[in-house]
Amino acid sequence: MRELIGLCQKLLRDGDVKVVIGYEEGPRGVRPAVITDPAGCERLVFDHRAVHNLVAYLSPRRGHLRDLGRAAVVVKGCDVAAFATLLRESQLEREGAVLVGVRCGGVYRSAAGSGPLDEKNVADRCGDCGLREPGTVDHLVGELPAAPPVSGRRAARIAEIENMSPAERFAYWREVLADCVRCNACRSACPLCVCERCLADKTDPRWVESSPHPRGNLSWHMARALHLAGRCVDCGDCERACPFGIPLTLINGKVGLVMRERFGFAPGEDPEVPAPIGTFDTDDSQEFIR
Amino acid sequence: MSNEKTESLFITDADLAALASDLIAAGTRVVAPVPSGDDEGRTHYRALSSADRFALDGPLPCGSLKEFFLPPTEVLLRWRRDQGKVEVDPAPPDAPATVILGAAPCDVAGPPVVDRVMDWDFRDEPWFARREATVVIARACPGRDASCFCTAVGLSPSSTRGADIMLSPTGESGGGHAVRVLTDKGADLVKRHRARFGAARGAAGAERLAAEAESRVAGNLDIDPRAVRSWLAANFDHPLWRRLADRCHGCGACAAVCPACHCFDIVDEPDGTDHGARRRNWDMCQFSLFTLHGSGHNPRQTQSARIRQRVMHKFSIYPERFGEILCTGCGRCARACPGGMDLPEILRELQRLAGGKSTAGGA
Amino acid sequence: MDSVAATDTEQAVTAAFEPRIIAFVCNWCTYTGADLAGTSRIQMAPNVRIIRLPCTGRIDPLFIVKAFERGADGVIVSGCHPGDCHYSSGNFHARRRFAVAREIMGFFGIDTGRVVFSWVSASEGRKWSEVVNDATSQVRALGPFTAYRDLAAGKG
Repeated sequence: MRELIGLCQKLLRDGDVKVVIGYEEGPRGVRPAVITDPAGCERLVFDHRAVHNLVAYLSPRRGHLRDLGRAAVVVKGCDVAAFATLLRESQLEREGAVLVGVRCGGVYRSAAGSGPLDEKNVADRCGDCGLREPGTVDHLVGELPAAPPVSGRRAARIAEIENMSPAERFAYWREVLADCVRCNACRSACPLCVCERCLADKTDPRWVESSPHPRGNLSWHMARALHLAGRCVDCGDCERACPFGIPLTLINGKVGLVMRERFGFAPGEDPEVPAPIGTFDTDDSQEFIR
Repeated sequence: MSNEKTESLFITDADLAALASDLIAAGTRVVAPVPSGDDEGRTHYRALSSADRFALDGPLPCGSLKEFFLPPTEVLLRWRRDQGKVEVDPAPPDAPATVILGAAPCDVAGPPVVDRVMDWDFRDEPWFARREATVVIARACPGRDASCFCTAVGLSPSSTRGADIMLSPTGESGGGHAVRVLTDKGADLVKRHRARFGAARGAAGAERLAAEAESRVAGNLDIDPRAVRSWLAANFDHPLWRRLADRCHGCGACAAVCPACHCFDIVDEPDGTDHGARRRNWDMCQFSLFTLHGSGHNPRQTQSARIRQRVMHKFSIYPERFGEILCTGCGRCARACPGGMDLPEILRELQRLAGGKSTAGGA
Repeated sequence: MDSVAATDTEQAVTAAFEPRIIAFVCNWCTYTGADLAGTSRIQMAPNVRIIRLPCTGRIDPLFIVKAFERGADGVIVSGCHPGDCHYSSGNFHARRRFAVAREIMGFFGIDTGRVVFSWVSASEGRKWSEVVNDATSQVRALGPFTAYRDLAAGKG
């Protein structure tokens, strides 16, 4: 879209930023673009296939983009929530990036999606999005499209799992996680997994086994869920990154529900909202504690 | 590739399913592409519990056949400590009798390529135990999508490399496959199940489909691997590497799905205070910790160094050492990459930089 | 990956099954309370091994996971009542963390009946004995956590 392209070109020409991180047409559909010259901005696109959370590329862990200098990042509202979380945690500085917000009408579940957006191909998180016009960005482009369709798919799956007995659930996850080979794509693609040295890579002591056997895999996915509680913005990049199609958004979706129900917390664009884990209320519910 | 051993037969779809059932009933592990039941229509190579589910016409399975020769995790030995004395028990390799049924040629060609390093300075007994215990029935591929590039690395959608038996669709309306028996192992399996196979037919149809598939895939990428190899060997510090890694997340998805990647990590894992197991696990060269030394030095500290290593290992170093490209052109790395890294795109760029002449179908 | 048709391998409860329970307790309250229970000669089930930590705020939910990995059938987590934390707010942080951990573990199929949380003060020796006895009979009824032990490397 011209407005986006023109803006990014101007940002580069004026020297406000040294690199634009956006979306471009790749050999297999839309993919992240890293552009350092104004002419390259002609490649920028934005449509329902712009599923990736590009805030991941601002991660302090990714040295190879930081050395380019200040970045402009094309962001949807959900991506801004990741940025806000990283600001909240002092992992990034607000001036470190220019946020180019795009008014959003929802994205596909997969970057290779096509056709009109409907309840079958829309990403699960889009249905109840309150950030279609992000406010804390530096620039906001595009017309506000129609609201995205709602997919009840994930809620139904989570409810199905919750209705299982503990033994059935245990067997379910054991089977589903049997495909995990610990390639760490979920972790690497996640904008919130920013630790220079992940807990799962520490060997002294070894808290999370690195072996992709059921014991190690269960421990990894539980640990990741725990460490993302209140931080995950439900971008779904983990599940999209998984080469074996493990339904990781079921896990993060469940944790998101817990955050909402117990602490009234949902990912948002205001970094001043306190993180639910790391803060407390003196009268937090404790019905499970005798 | 034909020799005196090559026997030609035919098998109907019903007989193929029956063959799978017979093998399963005999206690053989039968591995075939199976729908994974998710919303995206993926398939996986899985051990079948019954012949019902295999899906030969689906997309290329997410993972390669690698896990059936080099499991994602494998016990090498177990130890037990008893009052200061340590007992060590090498674990016998888990090598069940296996038939791989209907695998794509790009997958089937992977193990023979990796055989070279597995028998280089040290013979990897667990790998070869599983190689020996496995009969590979490949199936000619129609060419899946724009990310396929088997022809660019010396293979083709009907390559028989690594196959004991080759099944080729014939295009006949009744289905069924033309069968070529390629090795002694293949001949042995056919002999034990002779009733399932009929007289040869459909060769012309099979050849026509194979030619169509080959030209389809050849249109995706055309490189001269020798020119690329020479360029790589001479351009370790080329500026290309600097920016190639920009969209790479440093995850291991590419290595996880690759038929040729085989790097592993060895860990000692206690199961209790006094016993445990030493395991071999898949490792990924794109991890930042992959070459981290105990001293704290990391010779590949940047993602661009790691990407460079990956490309060089596959297209320069392994060919130099073993005369084989460490890639079968399956395209999974491009399909799996969350950051949009695309190996065919990279190879095209290397070809351009190498200024090499294109040769049809690769070297 | 092979399609693992995982079955529930928890065995039927036998009279011989004695659950192994690990208790992560804070030093200032529960540990002292447990000590009081002991010196008061209150009878308690012998199934619980106590691990002493400075504060419930130190308890990483992974400790609970590790306990199950290593063969525990049940876990107790106990500390000072909110407002009484020796370090002021450790247990407030812990309370939130435990709430989330419990839900996550439950979602993955760890029966939440196997993990007992309590606030036991230094003077509540009797309460500690009740927590111990109740947890033990609760976990005994659930049976050995063989499903977790079967995840052990050899059967993976």
